[in-house]
Amino acid sequence: MSEGPLDAFRIQKEPYYQALADEISLFEAAYTARLPVMLKGPTGCGKTRFVEHMAWRLRRPLLTVACNEEMSASDLLGRYLLESGATRWQDGPVTMAARHGAICYLDEVVEARQDTLVVIHPLTDDRRLLSLPARSEVLRAHPEFLLVVSHNPGYQSALKDLKPSTKQRFGAIAFDYPSRALEIEILIHETELPRDLAERLVSMAEGARRLKGHGLDEGVSTRMLVHAGELIRGGVGVEAACRMALVQPLTDDPDLVSALNTAVRACL
Amino acid sequence: MKHRIDAELPAGPSHLVRALWGFEVRVRPLPEGEDPFVPRRPRFAGSNLWLPSSPLLGVPGSFPDYLFAACAHISAHLRFGAARFDVKSLKPAQIAIVSLLEDARVERLAIAHYPGLERLWAPYQLARADGAKTSLSLLARLARALSDDAYLDDDAWVNKGRQSFLEARATWHDSDLCRRIGGALGNDLGQMRVQFDAKNYVVEPAYRDDNTGLWHFEQESTEDGAEFESEGVRRVEGEAPTPKRREHQEPQVTPALERKGGERQPALRLAATSEVPRATQHPEWDYVIQRERPAFCSVLERSPASTDAAPLSSTCDAHSQRRLERAAKRLADRHPARLRRLLDGDRVDVPAAVAAVVARNSGAPPDPRVYGRVRFRLEPPALLLLLDLSESLNAATPSTGTSLLQLARSAATLLATSLSTATSDLAIHGFSSNGRHEVGYYRFKDFDDPFDEQARARLTGMRAQLSTRLGTALRHAGRALATRQAPRKLLLVVTDGEPSDIDVHDAKYLLFDAKQATYLNRRLGLLSFCLGLDANAEASVARIFGARNYSLLDEPEKLPERLAEVYLRLSA
Repeated sequence: MSEGPLDAFRIQKEPYYQALADEISLFEAAYTARLPVMLKGPTGCGKTRFVEHMAWRLRRPLLTVACNEEMSASDLLGRYLLESGATRWQDGPVTMAARHGAICYLDEVVEARQDTLVVIHPLTDDRRLLSLPARSEVLRAHPEFLLVVSHNPGYQSALKDLKPSTKQRFGAIAFDYPSRALEIEILIHETELPRDLAERLVSMAEGARRLKGHGLDEGVSTRMLVHAGELIRGGVGVEAACRMALVQPLTDDPDLVSALNTAVRACL
Repeated sequence: MKHRIDAELPAGPSHLVRALWGFEVRVRPLPEGEDPFVPRRPRFAGSNLWLPSSPLLGVPGSFPDYLFAACAHISAHLRFGAARFDVKSLKPAQIAIVSLLEDARVERLAIAHYPGLERLWAPYQLARADGAKTSLSLLARLARALSDDAYLDDDAWVNKGRQSFLEARATWHDSDLCRRIGGALGNDLGQMRVQFDAKNYVVEPAYRDDNTGLWHFEQESTEDGAEFESEGVRRVEGEAPTPKRREHQEPQVTPALERKGGERQPALRLAATSEVPRATQHPEWDYVIQRERPAFCSVLERSPASTDAAPLSSTCDAHSQRRLERAAKRLADRHPARLRRLLDGDRVDVPAAVAAVVARNSGAPPDPRVYGRVRFRLEPPALLLLLDLSESLNAATPSTGTSLLQLARSAATLLATSLSTATSDLAIHGFSSNGRHEVGYYRFKDFDDPFDEQARARLTGMRAQLSTRLGTALRHAGRALATRQAPRKLLLVVTDGEPSDIDVHDAKYLLFDAKQATYLNRRLGLLSFCLGLDANAEASVARIFGARNYSLLDEPEKLPERLAEVYLRLSA
């Protein structure tokens, strides 16, 4: 295999991923059918890690785009650059992935302007075409190309949502925080914490998740637990690490902060 | 007995219980005692908690920590306790000892789940193995011996109690052991001829509840008890860890405010308008039961009276008006902006590219910023300006004597005039309430209507009267605003203080309802912002709208400018 230009985007080492349910086989089936995939779930539950893992498993390069409101169609498709008196076309990440057969991952896709995303529509149905008007080119997607997007339905869902015409092009896999046993395993694997400490951190996270909707917009994520574990491994005291990684990033409300700090103390 | 309930308790303790066990408790201030030197203890009945609102005498450590410790202790009762004990033939000393054992039992079980709770409770265990062996000190020593394995005591009775309790370790899940061990210990105490002074007995350590929540007493109809009981017991959601705890589980049906204020029929005064107003029902949040009362308040939409439009009063200087109009024009400009001379962009900025080529050909270093980009402007947000039209707006400002109502009118007129070229997604509504059945709501200018002579006339005819049921108005306005098709939706509220109404006597009730309404509006995707005309109302306004979403005016005369500034800041 020689997809020369994208070698830098190949994932060499297996990214650790602990399957929560049948998402790996579902993704593989979607890949076989070349069905674009949408990953839904709360922040920090492992969506991005899952895509990396799948890219490694399927041996495809992975191009990730963090979407934002300022992003324009040419940020996705590509543009002309000036170079030593001449112009040169530079493929954008979507074009590059479609041309060379990579997995293109649009992270937090609702953050992009919804009119911008319309440019990917022809790529995501059975045409699998990308039209590049600036270059007068119609690009037929590489047979191995796959588009993956992620979004967090709990977050600002009333303000920002995908157009139904965009949503319906995807098959979707829903993610949630792992079960207690799995989350403990993940934490131990990622941070090498002793098991009893990992169990306590997970108890703490479960407590904070019960406050979701009662003042908290989002609960403690698996990623935050890993952060706390890394701080502890780096020599920070357990309570201080929890305050820094779990409590303070979550809320500014003084009552909630004091309640969470006390819950941290109760778990330790 | 009159209770002082204006004291504030932080919300932290109930959050802690939800985080630890996943169920909800209602925390309220413990009534002040008649005699400040009689020690008080927290109390609970079902999921109702009464905690002191100020530090108790002789309790070490910080007061917030004390509240957490007390709340965690009671939550352990709720989580691990069973049905209330029957008093039957137990003597007062036995009741006290059984309660101590039950306290220790539920704490041990809670610590098995959350080991750190031990450190939360330990600082309050102050009993020492010395001094006179009164019943009070012996019970405090027993309490410590049951919880603190490192504690050494030389008293045979205390050690016997500890030993029996620890030997029963395997059956800690069963509260019957407390009755068995406690009964025996009580008999021993009697044989030791230690007098138990039931009247002056107070539970130690101080974070523990007074045990009344653990027992079925024959008569619970003392005046004090009745007041506590009448609050009712209601588990708000989810699992009920103590299903058979109470017979008194009847939820309280009549809300406190109705009991006190009485049912009110809509007053004739307001209802005598020419047309029959449309009534819309809204729920109301009752912080006491932590629930919404469905369809509790009625909003009556009324057509505002109009008067011949008077010219815009000169409370706003020409300078800020010009500034606002300029800013509004910028907002109205929906053409995409072309950004030039960028290092990176969608297209080549031709003049810059030519200059770069010229520079290179003449041997000078070319400027690499030869790209351009088109930037789309954000649409202006949909704006609903909600005016509080309660009686207090008739007050005049101390310095100029202009009424607050007049200022609100000028501010609304200025904003609407300036924005009329930029957007029609602007509505000006107002409200004043007369009890929950009659929240008057006026639309001076609605979305998509032009700001014309009629709208001006309606604003001029605006009157201030009656009260401020803010939460209901926020819900009604939120519903109107949420239906707009705009990328951002802004609810600007002008009010002169905290919500109040004639049928509500608990100042916090409407405040929490308004807070809840703001929270729900946020969930609808609305951004709420409050301009407060009373600089002293900071606490309530901050509570309702959140720390960053309000601005208070030291000089109410500045309202028109400040309203415009706030709008521009939020819509930029």
